[in-house]
Amino acid sequence: MAKVVRFLSSIRLAIVLLILIIGLSIIGTLIPQGQEIDFYRQRWPSLSEEILYLGFDHLYRSPLFLSLIFLFLLNLLACSIKQIPAKFQRLKGLSPEAFRSGGSLKNKKLLFRLGELLAKNPLKLKSFFQQQHYQVKVAQIEDKKYFLARKGLTGLFGPELVHLGLIIIIVGGLVSALFSQRITIALLEGQAERIPEKSFSLRLDKFSTEFYPDGAVKDWKSLISVIDNGQVQFQKTVEVNHPFTYGGLKFFQMSYGLDWDQVQVELEIKFSGSPAQYITLKNDSYHQIDERRLVRLLSFIPDFQLDSSGQVISRSAEARNPAALVEIHQDGQPLFSGWVFYYHPDLSRFQRRIGSAPEVRLRNFSAPPFSVLEASSDPGTNLVWVGSLLMLLGLLTSFYFPYKELRILIEPGREPLVTAFSRKNRESFIQELEGLTELISNTKKISKEISDE
Amino acid sequence: MNEFIFLLVAFFIYFLVMVLGFISLFKPVFRISRVSFYLSVTGFIFHTVSLVVRTIQSGQAPFTSMYESINFLAWSCVLAVIIFERKFRLERIAPYLWLIIVALLALASSPALPKEVTPLVPALQSYWLWLHVSVTLLGEAFLAIAFVVSLKYLLSQNKGLTEAEARERKEKLDLIAYRAVAVGFPLFTLGALVFGMIWASKAWGRYWGWDPKEVWSLITWLFYALYLHTRLAMGWRGKKSALIAVLGFLAALFTFFGVNYLLSGLHSYL
Ligand code: HEM
Repeated sequence: MAKVVRFLSSIRLAIVLLILIIGLSIIGTLIPQGQEIDFYRQRWPSLSEEILYLGFDHLYRSPLFLSLIFLFLLNLLACSIKQIPAKFQRLKGLSPEAFRSGGSLKNKKLLFRLGELLAKNPLKLKSFFQQQHYQVKVAQIEDKKYFLARKGLTGLFGPELVHLGLIIIIVGGLVSALFSQRITIALLEGQAERIPEKSFSLRLDKFSTEFYPDGAVKDWKSLISVIDNGQVQFQKTVEVNHPFTYGGLKFFQMSYGLDWDQVQVELEIKFSGSPAQYITLKNDSYHQIDERRLVRLLSFIPDFQLDSSGQVISRSAEARNPAALVEIHQDGQPLFSGWVFYYHPDLSRFQRRIGSAPEVRLRNFSAPPFSVLEASSDPGTNLVWVGSLLMLLGLLTSFYFPYKELRILIEPGREPLVTAFSRKNRESFIQELEGLTELISNTKKISKEISDE
Repeated sequence: MNEFIFLLVAFFIYFLVMVLGFISLFKPVFRISRVSFYLSVTGFIFHTVSLVVRTIQSGQAPFTSMYESINFLAWSCVLAVIIFERKFRLERIAPYLWLIIVALLALASSPALPKEVTPLVPALQSYWLWLHVSVTLLGEAFLAIAFVVSLKYLLSQNKGLTEAEARERKEKLDLIAYRAVAVGFPLFTLGALVFGMIWASKAWGRYWGWDPKEVWSLITWLFYALYLHTRLAMGWRGKKSALIAVLGFLAALFTFFGVNYLLSGLHSYL
């Protein structure tokens, strides 16, 4: 058991784990995550079984990665707990034990000089350390004389704060992984939708997309009404980077889309010998051109493509290659049937024309926009903020308020016991102490010379 | 008033400082380091004016395209070098740092990187963009100092020096690298990780998504955690420490360039 604890609290384990986590993280950025199984089989035919077995298709949720993180968490906990008793011992003021266990700087001569200086002139020593912003305590308790100078008390616990912050962040991450929820909601203007497992609905009252002069999207704004218990509670505009919170969920503006099912097209139809007619049609509807002739819109596709088997598909939801499937009848007999293209008006490969078929063109099209919102609830988030704050405070104090202390204990009939400790940068602390002792001795000489005169 | 004229003046001053620095490596010239210091501050002022002019004209943060980001990183490096020169006396190390700055600006001026201002996609319009990117790049500037100094440590031969002199030089390099990490690591933690998480949480409703850019900044950060703890636990100094500092910065560079061009993800608009 003691062995296990020693292993878990060792900083060597931390180093090994850091290296392993770095290595795995790199692998996770080289292998695309969360693809279909076939993707890996095609891309890495000889390695795909190993990749799938190890869970590297979702590496950051794989048992291997999670167990490393878990071990790292235990490591952090164990090593912080191990460090704490010694540090609290240091906090204690004027107790003989603290003085006996205090030091780690080994420079006998220097420490001896400091002991001497204290025996001769405690007040001078005190004022010199105070000038360097040390907290100084000098006391005589029973027959013992104590001198304690220190600074950077918060820096003593800097690494523990960093590690505690990290522990809280990792726990927050686990909480998020287990309990966070995300719902995508797509709303057309005027449409309302009930939020699953909640008592309220959202209604999109107005949706607008703002553009830059060059046509790039600048912002999306959704005016949302929150309807709870059949009543509008409030109205709010959601924009990218400006979410709102209601009922334990945060609502984000994610993107937008066009509802192609509700497309409206404008067709130009020209029979030979008569002027062109412009006809507006909805999807899956028809229009009577005259008593004998009728035009029907069967289908509309925003990004027309043929797949490998010759089926018509839409490659994306954007209007990159809009096409309409149109049929024109005369007296119940087909005259024209096929695809007309917005960007390729002369393409007739996908059309069948019989007899006096007209020229058909897709002049225009429009579809109602919908706003895509995302609702999320993530109980881990606040833990992550608290952990981050602690970690940053810890970094600040670790690096910029390093703890230093000097303790001197004089007991009758014994050599002075002098100990010095600095959490980091030992050499520069020794230099500082040497400088101080020199300064004190010199001023003594100077003041002696003055009084001699 | 054109930002590019100011930038050009700054560039020439930096170039001059670098050349003076290398000359003084071989032929110590009296007072040259003082002159270099004032020159570099002058260059920095010109550089700053150039950034301010661009920011006012574009009305958006001066680090939203590759050109702007490299330029801002170079500016941060100049600031970091000036601070370190002031506090720790870089002496023989300085010209190598100026070399990196000059190289960064030369890279920024490459014709492959468009210089005109492009409007921001919706997710980038946030004051967290300012905080996230500026603090991250500032932190990376200090990590760049650690990188250059560590490279120097690994590559320098110290021919013609006594053993004691060589050791003293190496110890100085090691100490400066550590001090640069001690500034750069907290700044990088604040800017890249904490501000990054806050912004992601505001824009996308999640503070962390294992996006390649996020993972690579985590990797960079873990390298520096490794740097600190190998020094603490195993007393690694010198060579091994220097190697980790070099690897850490290579990871930072990959986060900056590689992820955009080689891996895909949400962050690829930068
Ligand atoms: C990514 C994870 C970690 C980070 C960012 C981190 C950060 C830090 C920092 C900033 C310091 C102060 C360094 C200095 O003063 O030079 C430190 C010290 C330390 N860390 Fe970590 N740490 C991490 C993980 C760990 C783990 C897992 C252990 C477990 C063994 C550990 C053990 C220690 C110890 C023993 C110290 C010295 C404490 C002292 O001087 O009082 N660290 N850490």
